[in-house]
Amino acid sequence: MTEHTQNPLNHPEVQLANGRAYLASFIISMLLMTAGLWLAVTHITTPFGTVLVTSLLAGVVVIIQGYFILHMDISHAQMWHTVAMVLFLPLFVVTIGLTAWMFHGLYQRTMIMPPAASSVINIPPMPSMSH
Amino acid sequence: MLVHLQGPWTPLLGRLTLQQIPFHVPILVVTFIVVAILAAVVLGATTYFGKWGYLWREWLTTVDHKKIGVMYILLGLVMLLRGFVDALMIRTQQAMAVGPSSPGYMGAVHGYLTPFHLGQIFTAHGLIMIVFAATPLLVGLMNIIVPLQIGARDMAYPYLNALGLWLTTAGAALVMVSLFVGNFAHGGWYGFVPYFELSYSPGVGVDYWMWSFQLAAIGTSLGSINLIATIVKMRAPGMTWMRMPMFTWASLSTNLIALTSFPVLMVTLALLGMDRYLGTHFYTAGMGGNLMLYNDLFWVWGHPEVYFLILPAFGIMSEIIPTFSEKTLFGYATMVIASFAIGGVAWGVWLHHFFTMAAAPSVNSFYSVTTMLVGIPTGVKVFNWIFTMYRGRVRYELPMLWALLALFLLLVGGMSGMMNAFASSDYMWHNSLFVVAHFHMMVLVIAASVFGAVEYWFPKVFGFKLEQKWGKWFFWFMILGTGWVFVPMFLLGFGGMTRRLDYIHYTQWSPYLHIMLIGMVFYVIAVVFFVAHLYISLRDRAKNRAGADAWGSGRSLEWATHSPVPAYNFAITPHVNARDEWAWRKENGLTELHPGDYESIHMPKNTGVPLFLGILFMGLAFALIWRIWWLALLCVALIVVLIILRSFDHDTDMTIPAEDVEQVESDARDETSTAIRPAGVLGGTAIAHSTLQSGTGGISGSTSPSWTPMDR
Repeated sequence: MTEHTQNPLNHPEVQLANGRAYLASFIISMLLMTAGLWLAVTHITTPFGTVLVTSLLAGVVVIIQGYFILHMDISHAQMWHTVAMVLFLPLFVVTIGLTAWMFHGLYQRTMIMPPAASSVINIPPMPSMSH
Repeated sequence: MLVHLQGPWTPLLGRLTLQQIPFHVPILVVTFIVVAILAAVVLGATTYFGKWGYLWREWLTTVDHKKIGVMYILLGLVMLLRGFVDALMIRTQQAMAVGPSSPGYMGAVHGYLTPFHLGQIFTAHGLIMIVFAATPLLVGLMNIIVPLQIGARDMAYPYLNALGLWLTTAGAALVMVSLFVGNFAHGGWYGFVPYFELSYSPGVGVDYWMWSFQLAAIGTSLGSINLIATIVKMRAPGMTWMRMPMFTWASLSTNLIALTSFPVLMVTLALLGMDRYLGTHFYTAGMGGNLMLYNDLFWVWGHPEVYFLILPAFGIMSEIIPTFSEKTLFGYATMVIASFAIGGVAWGVWLHHFFTMAAAPSVNSFYSVTTMLVGIPTGVKVFNWIFTMYRGRVRYELPMLWALLALFLLLVGGMSGMMNAFASSDYMWHNSLFVVAHFHMMVLVIAASVFGAVEYWFPKVFGFKLEQKWGKWFFWFMILGTGWVFVPMFLLGFGGMTRRLDYIHYTQWSPYLHIMLIGMVFYVIAVVFFVAHLYISLRDRAKNRAGADAWGSGRSLEWATHSPVPAYNFAITPHVNARDEWAWRKENGLTELHPGDYESIHMPKNTGVPLFLGILFMGLAFALIWRIWWLALLCVALIVVLIILRSFDHDTDMTIPAEDVEQVESDARDETSTAIRPAGVLGGTAIAHSTLQSGTGGISGSTSPSWTPMDR
């Protein structure tokens, strides 16, 4: 076995590599993240609005990167990305959801907010976390 | 952009000045002298015996999973000793500094350690034991054993494997450097928020803690990717999921935890880094920050990490107990389910680390229940081990003794863990020595399993067994030490003594603290016995030569290849027929088969790149700690250049010719052979005699080389 039979270029996921898509993903992600930073710095909307909009922007960035960088789809060649996604989604819901639930209770007990930030207290519990 | 710092700063050396070298602390000066002498002896001996070439070729540049595993374990043992010395100092201080009339030495009001110094010691003790001792020991074992158990030639990514090792080593080295240059964090191994913020801890200690932690986290994540890919893609033909040995299952579960949780730690520490370097406010009380965010994020990693450590220990016990009971593992399927149930529950229990921090009662109740749920799969495992021993031919050899000790400690630690799971009870003893005693029971489960695993797989890796006499002395003195240290610790916990005290007000606690100190003396004696154990074993290694099936009752695939294992693991990729493949072959008289002719074997080539990357990452972290910006930029540039150079290097593989394979194999088979072939064989000097004698025909198996990832 002197020959290298493991040529990476034979792998379908490597063949999907695409410089233009990477660049597009990079630029779009940077723009969206800059928009998030700008929202947070300028206080253009309420604190809760900022949280909501930046979270939405972050979600869009994740989808764009999953599409342009990971080339995620449900084809056989990309099966491992799909498996990783299936593993990741419940963990994401559990960690973020339980954290939000904890902070919701915590804020009601400990964080006496200045009036300007008081809308934070009124974060509605996430639907999956109602108890 | 950068935070303004008080104190001296120069462009050339950053915050580093001569005053940062602790000349004035006698303990550190003595330590430095001892370390310097030891280093001089080691370096001098290496030069004198002309071993630099050997060291470079066979170890520092290796990508062989077995050697990398051995180096991981050596790193873990060295750091275990360092962490033990830290423990010794904490226990001595607490035994001395009791009551207002207790004397003070070396600048301390009571005892011999100032609060600042003690803070560094308990922080270092915790971080070292968890991240730089237990983790490398377990990762090293998984590195060595998993590819052997699944019949693979190496890990899926040998280069990445070496990189993980050297990044972890860089982190450990930084902790060591902090002894003599600057100081270490004094804010607990998991970081007290907001105490570790720049305003309250302006020194470099927290930076040392943060960056060494970060390096270890990156190293461990890389290792977990590697092990998952290896287990999923590189199993030998015939090794279906439900034929995988239990240690491999445990490794899969544990590395899934690592892969999903370590990134959380990296982000947590990176946010702290932004607080400390860029002046953001993630973990401050004002300016939109939140203290609890740190606790939450840290333990989102921290609790899965606990199960990351315990699951391989369970896997080790699941291998040792069947071998020394001469029975197959009881309840295999339930063991698999239990391993993954523990891994799954790991993600929903982290808040029990801060029950007392004002979460709503419903939240605390939820986490109480999830924490108690962990007891179910763990209980399943305990009963399975007991039923494995039931009506088995149990042999009390050293690995089995350690496994049984681990089982006993698991009961003590597990039961006290169930007590901690009640949020209502936890309010009573949060941050008390009861909690400390509980989790030390659990990490001693890991320690006992690791010692058992080292005894158990040592002949597989080095070709000879460790001797039994001093090993048993070591074992019993470890038990003595554990009893004398931790029974009083449980009692003190009930008495209300809190963690991390540099001065103890209540003189009635003094007897317990002195009993614990006696326990530490037993531990010290145990360490001496351990060294004797290793020394005598090495001296008498010719007498203790072991064959392929070193214990005579091995069950899984790793016992099918020679001891020590050749560089290519298996000359012909084995075909797996049963769950306990080696036991199956013994029952069916198939142990003495060997192929008529061999094929050349394609293997990865040695490379020094991971070592240099490790050094550069250490340089980068050091530069960031001392804020030497030019050095940080230089290291980043060199890292990028090195990675680019490596990715254009297409000459990364080599081929072991068929004749060489045949030579190694026939040497290993032929008991009368005097041919000694040092190269390419772990352990260096000789090939052990295998129980494989002669035979005809070949081990049926795929003819494609086993390093080829299988397409499943």
